[in-house]
Amino acid sequence: MTMVEFDVSPRARDYTQSTLKGLIPDESELTAGCLIEPGKSYGFFTDTTVCIGCKACEVACKEWNNLPADEVGLTGHSYDNTGALSSNTWRHVAFVEKKQADRAAAETGYGVRENEQAAFQSGWLMMSDVCKHCHHAPCMEACPTGALFKTEFDTVVVQQDICNGCGYCVPACPFGVVDVSTTDGKAHKCTLCYDRLKGGLEPACAKSCPTDSIQFGELSDLHARAKVRVEELHARGVTTAYTYGAPGDPGSTGDMQYLNAFFLLTDRPEAYNLPAAPTRPSNRVKPALAAGLMAVAALALGAVAAFAGAPRHGQ
Amino acid sequence: MDNDVRPRRWTESIADGHGSGFDKKEIRPYVETTSQASQPSKWKGPTYYGRSQLKAAPFNNYVVGGYIFLAGLSGGGAIVSTLAEAVRGERAYGVGRRGRYVATLAPTIGALLLIWDLHTPQRFYNMWRIAKGTSPMSIGTWILTAFIPSSMLGAGAQVLADVLPGAGWLKPVARWGSAPSAITGAGLSVYTASLLAATSTPYWAAAPRSLAVRFGASSLVSGSASLVIGERDPATRDALNLILGGALAVELAATIAHHHEVKKKGVAEVLKTRWGRIERFGVEGLGILLPIGLHAASHLVSDRKGKAALSDLAAIFALAGSATLRVAALAVGEESARRPDISFRFSQPENLPG
Repeated sequence: MTMVEFDVSPRARDYTQSTLKGLIPDESELTAGCLIEPGKSYGFFTDTTVCIGCKACEVACKEWNNLPADEVGLTGHSYDNTGALSSNTWRHVAFVEKKQADRAAAETGYGVRENEQAAFQSGWLMMSDVCKHCHHAPCMEACPTGALFKTEFDTVVVQQDICNGCGYCVPACPFGVVDVSTTDGKAHKCTLCYDRLKGGLEPACAKSCPTDSIQFGELSDLHARAKVRVEELHARGVTTAYTYGAPGDPGSTGDMQYLNAFFLLTDRPEAYNLPAAPTRPSNRVKPALAAGLMAVAALALGAVAAFAGAPRHGQ
Repeated sequence: MDNDVRPRRWTESIADGHGSGFDKKEIRPYVETTSQASQPSKWKGPTYYGRSQLKAAPFNNYVVGGYIFLAGLSGGGAIVSTLAEAVRGERAYGVGRRGRYVATLAPTIGALLLIWDLHTPQRFYNMWRIAKGTSPMSIGTWILTAFIPSSMLGAGAQVLADVLPGAGWLKPVARWGSAPSAITGAGLSVYTASLLAATSTPYWAAAPRSLAVRFGASSLVSGSASLVIGERDPATRDALNLILGGALAVELAATIAHHHEVKKKGVAEVLKTRWGRIERFGVEGLGILLPIGLHAASHLVSDRKGKAALSDLAAIFALAGSATLRVAALAVGEESARRPDISFRFSQPENLPG
């Protein structure tokens, strides 16, 4: 018999009893292998190749954040009855069933599975989507009240006591994450469990993930882990594996720099409902203002000429 | 099995034909083609059950569009009336007087519309919590705030000068008091375009510069059109009509340029929707071309009353066109965010700046 070696923190031996008296200090060290300290960058690395679509992350998120259910019903879109991220849903598991190319499907009817597939999850993709906590967060840059801010953990959070529900963050987001709730009239999105981070706890979704598809940690660690994972997958023949949202990747385009929550994907970004090349909206503020003001200035000069040229006396 | 362990980007794996799930024939053109001309007009690759990756702005288009129109009208009116008084002096007093009244629309009704559109309106004052250069909504808050004192002082002095006997000495107060609003009015006229451009909504983000020129020109269209109506002095009226005609011509050119750029970025499909047609035929046709035509026609009429009637009619159409532009631009933008064939086409790498 071979012993399986687990990478367990030695501190785990300090907590062997089933009922604890209180919080474990720096619990994240035991569950995620990292200490949570202000001033450092934290994020998620979501490895979609090991996602099994159990939706534990969706449930854990709803439970911890006290979020109500969205529509209860069936969408007919594989096992995805959540649909999309919303003000009440901050983790969303996407299910992609690969079908035959549209041309063939038009002849044979839709919903026909690919009958020639490469190995390894090429026919059924699952991805737990979440707020990307962008380095240059467009929602935060757009927010006119300062309700959206960068925390000491380099994550992006809406302050619920400040948001006045102007809704400008919603079209600003290149990923369709932020949403204004019709219940309370405030913008809501994933907080990367800001309250848990403050208490030294790993975010609820990452802690509940049974396959470690969602990994929480310091961003530089996660980038290194993702790189190793991509190389490992390539070596095993999954040449389509790539990261989305790490520096230089798709998703980090157009001055977005990088996303604190990034992904490992095996199909085009669009298949997972992600944009291939998002851009940083605030870069368009100055060009628009300058061009508009120049046009107005030119027309104002024209107006001066028109008034000056008009006869001063008589008809 | 492929022994190459170098990390591969998705673009590489598609380009060299690796990649199991990819249909090369279907996907290659989106990645490899560099020439804009051969790009398809909309996204035909995979989508997630026909969903867009974006969320449409939760604005009430009539309310927010109404504000943008009033901001342009007040800003444009302040600019044109201030310049009229500066250049023509006492002869343009009527224009200045009406300009001061027009300039009160944005701070009063406009501001109320803005507050009404908030989802938590009782917290409107949080807009003054910060000033932020990356947020045109914050920039706009401060522009409107700066516009209020001068425009309200000018209008207040004007009301007193109009109703109180012997308050003629207030006329210079009204005139000098309202003058700074011509400067802030310029900001008020165009910041709204920057607000739309600085989003991820395809139709708004596709061409920031030409959209802003459209909005700026349209603001001066509505400003001068509002001053034409009721102007008795023929020379001043002609000058206002000349300004209106010039602004309409600039707006027309900017509209053509905007639609051309939008097409280049693969967003033109959205102009085929209902609001897209309103934007093309309602704004471009009835709001720009018809007033230009009416002006041309007024030159053929020799009767002074007929001339005035035609130019009044042109001004009314121009005002309606300016209002429709703002509502339609909002609605078309939101439609472009809802449609994955447009939103994914817009977010392809070839649309990246630089």
